[in-house]
Amino acid sequence: MKAMELVRLALSRLGSSRLRAALTMLGVIIGVASVVSLVAVGQGATSGITKQLQGLGTNLLTVNPGATTTGFTRGAAGSASTLTIADAQAIGGLDGVAAVEPETSTSQFVVAGTQNTTTTIVGTTGAYTTVRNFNVWQGSTLNGAAVDATLNEAVLGATTADDLGLGASSIGSTIKIGGLPFRVVGILQAKGSTGPTSQDDQILVPYTTVEDHFVPGKTVRSIGISVASAGQIDTVKGEITTLLETRHGIAAGGTNDFTIADQSQLLTTVSSVSDLLTVLLAGIASISLLVGGIGIMNIMLVSVRERTREIGIRKAIGARGRDILAQFLVEALVLSLLGGLIGIAIGVGASYLIGQLAGWGFVFNPITPLVAVLFSLLVGIVFGVWPARQAARLDPIVALRYE
Amino acid sequence: MSTPLIELQNVSRIYDLGHIQVAALQGVDLDVQEGEFLAIVGPSGSGKSTLMNIVGCLDRPTAGTYTLNGTPVAELDDDGLARLRSRTIGFVFQNYNLLPRTSALENVATPLLYQGVSRKDRLARAGAALERLGLGDRVNHVPTELSGGQQQRVAIARALVTEPALLLADEPTGNLDSSSGADVITLLHELNAAGRTIVMITHDVDVARVASRQVHVRDGRLIA
Ligand SMILES: Nc1ncnc2c1ncn2[C@@H]1O[C@H](COP(=O)(O)OP(=O)(O)OP(=O)(O)O)[C@@H](O)[C@H]1O
Ligand SMILES: [Mg+2]
Repeated sequence: MKAMELVRLALSRLGSSRLRAALTMLGVIIGVASVVSLVAVGQGATSGITKQLQGLGTNLLTVNPGATTTGFTRGAAGSASTLTIADAQAIGGLDGVAAVEPETSTSQFVVAGTQNTTTTIVGTTGAYTTVRNFNVWQGSTLNGAAVDATLNEAVLGATTADDLGLGASSIGSTIKIGGLPFRVVGILQAKGSTGPTSQDDQILVPYTTVEDHFVPGKTVRSIGISVASAGQIDTVKGEITTLLETRHGIAAGGTNDFTIADQSQLLTTVSSVSDLLTVLLAGIASISLLVGGIGIMNIMLVSVRERTREIGIRKAIGARGRDILAQFLVEALVLSLLGGLIGIAIGVGASYLIGQLAGWGFVFNPITPLVAVLFSLLVGIVFGVWPARQAARLDPIVALRYE
Repeated sequence: MSTPLIELQNVSRIYDLGHIQVAALQGVDLDVQEGEFLAIVGPSGSGKSTLMNIVGCLDRPTAGTYTLNGTPVAELDDDGLARLRSRTIGFVFQNYNLLPRTSALENVATPLLYQGVSRKDRLARAGAALERLGLGDRVNHVPTELSGGQQQRVAIARALVTEPALLLADEPTGNLDSSSGADVITLLHELNAAGRTIVMITHDVDVARVASRQVHVRDGRLIA
């Protein structure tokens, strides 16, 4: 029998019991929809996290002080104060280094007119925006002259500016940081990262000013380095290690009093973790697809019982076993395929909505629906064959006598 | 005399129910020539339907040989039997046995589906068959929307649509009132006059009288 005839037969049959067909398909619909949307969520989250990490700075290396060692007790990384402004300047002279910025920090009470907040004050140079990949929204970044002259100038993060009620017209106005007047020279564009360590909630001032007014001494919290090209990252890392070991008088093989964090390393780790998560989500969702398939098998088995007489009649008027087999198999296939297509539509819709809500946009990967359709077809075959064989094997005489 | 269309030799059908064996047919010898109108008469439970199932290739004898149109049926596999049913036999069952929730037209067209006839031709031929049986205005009705007599005529149209050499009718008037029963008998008579071989089962001696020959069954045996 031709495929067209079989599909027509299946559709007219399913059309005559729509509610049952719909309920049977529901399992496959839910299964496929959850596979499609969960994979999209996983991939969306991966690309979202990757983008955010890339937003921290391209080819970024961060040098942090090591841990203090008191007797046999080793403190947390960064607890030692071993990095200095001079270290930063020395790193600036290395080959392959595009930009360097030292960072000192302090937390201060800030007042602008009637508004106030408490936030992180970062003592740095104008290179901060380059290395940390910030765009200046209004005004300009810190300039070298201000750093040299220890000027009270401030560049505000987007969130901080918002909190203080400052906007485009506020460039040139004066705010008070820790009771001292500072001139606002620029406001940064928001990066969109949130949470207590938001990069948008901070104020940049010359490190010389921080040293003069808030934290005396030449030590820094960290040094940010932008490497000229991705290929040079490892070389530059090596150069910095040698340089700092020499400068800090550490013998080769000794314990370094600094650590170098590599942005690209973090990126690969994070994306491999979230890839694993995606596979895990898809696996869980596939289980619901499996359950949907078992639902189809259940209904088809019931259907074969109910239609035993019909099968007997069909055989009596000329149907061969394989005609009956094909009829029931195609019915199961149509159910699963139809369910699969509806599931894809719902899944794509859901991933679009989630993408919009979560803010990573709509990541459409045509592979997922394709795989989902093939998978639901497979489900139809696997779970349809058994009932269809039961139908095909019926003895016409027995089937005709069946009540 | 030419070889008979139907040739049963010493045919038995024994149902094995495990604890008991029911001999529905025992040592039946029967020849039916082409163009004959044979009536098989017998009381309820005598084995008439069992005989028709064997003649119609729905069932196999447990002993004896059956030759249909020169083909020894025992040599065919299930697919072969299905092909033989599809090509040479038209069934009218004791209780209509129409496909439920399926229109009269689709019911009549279904045997042609299994012959591989295109949908267009199927519907045209099914429509013509229904027309011939006076059901031209009922083609889109499903069985539950038809009277018993109309259902029986749909069943006859379905048996005839493939132009089978042999028409088997099991109690074709059993569920009908006398007037629509008479219509069906007249129709069978016309079909036979046009050259078709008919084997009709009935327990009604009056109905059997229209046939060209009668055989009687009792307790699974033919009696003269
Ligand atoms: N599947 C079966 N299993 C066991 N016994 C059966 C089966 N089919 C028929 N029989 C028995 O075979 C005998 C003949 O049955 P059959 O149906 O051929 O009778 P019939 O002459 O057609 O009767 P009726 O006029 O009532 O239709 C009966 O005794 C019946 O009980
Ligand atoms: Mg009977």
